[in-house]
Amino acid sequence: MTAAGWVVAAAVLAGAAGFAASVDAQSAAGRGASVVPDITGAWERVGPGALAGGQGTDVRTPPPVPAPPLKMAYLGEWRARQQAAREATAKGQPIGINWVNCLPDGMPGMMQGPFPMEILQTRDQVTVMQESFTQVRRILLNRPQKKNDEVDPSFYGHSVGRWNGDTLVVETVGIKEDVRYQNVPHSSAMRITERIRLAQPNVLWDEITIEDPETLEKPWTFTFAYRRMPDYTLLEYICEDNREYIDEKGLQRMRLGAPAPAR
Amino acid sequence: MQRGRGSLRIVIGVVFLAVGATAVIAHHSFAVFDHSQTVTVTGTVTRFQWTNPHGFLEVDYRAADGATKHFTIELTSINMLSRAGWTSRSVKAGEMVKAMVAPLLSGEPGGLLLEMTLGDGRKLVSPVPAPTTFTRTPEKELR
Repeated sequence: MTAAGWVVAAAVLAGAAGFAASVDAQSAAGRGASVVPDITGAWERVGPGALAGGQGTDVRTPPPVPAPPLKMAYLGEWRARQQAAREATAKGQPIGINWVNCLPDGMPGMMQGPFPMEILQTRDQVTVMQESFTQVRRILLNRPQKKNDEVDPSFYGHSVGRWNGDTLVVETVGIKEDVRYQNVPHSSAMRITERIRLAQPNVLWDEITIEDPETLEKPWTFTFAYRRMPDYTLLEYICEDNREYIDEKGLQRMRLGAPAPAR
Repeated sequence: MQRGRGSLRIVIGVVFLAVGATAVIAHHSFAVFDHSQTVTVTGTVTRFQWTNPHGFLEVDYRAADGATKHFTIELTSINMLSRAGWTSRSVKAGEMVKAMVAPLLSGEPGGLLLEMTLGDGRKLVSPVPAPTTFTRTPEKELR
């Protein structure tokens, strides 16, 4: 075969093997984006109702997170728990949450902020670092997902992703059952799918869909929006002197300092 | 009239939503602090603690009976303080401060800093989440 022949053969093979990729590329081209967007940098969550792009823009943020579509067997308990938490807070005796014990959110809670996060894109991995509690998750690109029983439960789980045109599609499994977003119960079969894309050059959206055949009636979908922080470098966050604690009644308390020694 | 009430209800709803949204951005709930009144603590800083999850100001003040008493002032996360312009050198031990705090509901000698004035006249505001939910009452000195 001539050199030209090899090139043609290679192209045909690549075309056949990469059919899915080429469909992705075409759909991306259809939307006017043929290259992977640059999402590296610092980002800050913008809450519902704000203008995500700041002054002079009109990019409204997505609506607030809707109530979880829990199955009846779980819904009553979840509602009762949320109500108890609201009443305790109203009485000034809040029920302790993870943060009081200096535990991180895990997934998907770490994507809600509250502090800035940094995204670092490399060839084989997208790394997301949330400033609070120094949370880090690694999204492995173009790798097969593991089965639920192959993953040891963890705070951030096992995330794999691929660029589908201008959208980073990420799938996460293996979240510990006691790592709960908004107190919503889940089983080891929970799967989180994210579609991360630039809604505007400086506005990032993460559409999160949670599926769990055990606890959810149907998929639970919500979107977080972030604005780019071009000049911001993430600060360190170490839970060094945690004076908050949860007492024997499950309530949050605070240890007070002592007077200075007599001078 | 009906329309007016509806608008008010919407306003209250929006405020409630906003509070709900910001309440989650703290290391812990600020519900342990009294949102209905403020007290003023004037005294000497014994320690300015630049740590996470929260910074602290330890203050000694002179009580009405002449005794020195101690008050612990909680700040926000130092990351939030940094973004609001504070540094680890903003306040020093030995400095006089006049601090406006939301006291602990438990009655213990502690509170959450809203703002303070230093001896040299500098004013520092603490970047507490949902600051408008704290009612600032006329100056009442802790004695």
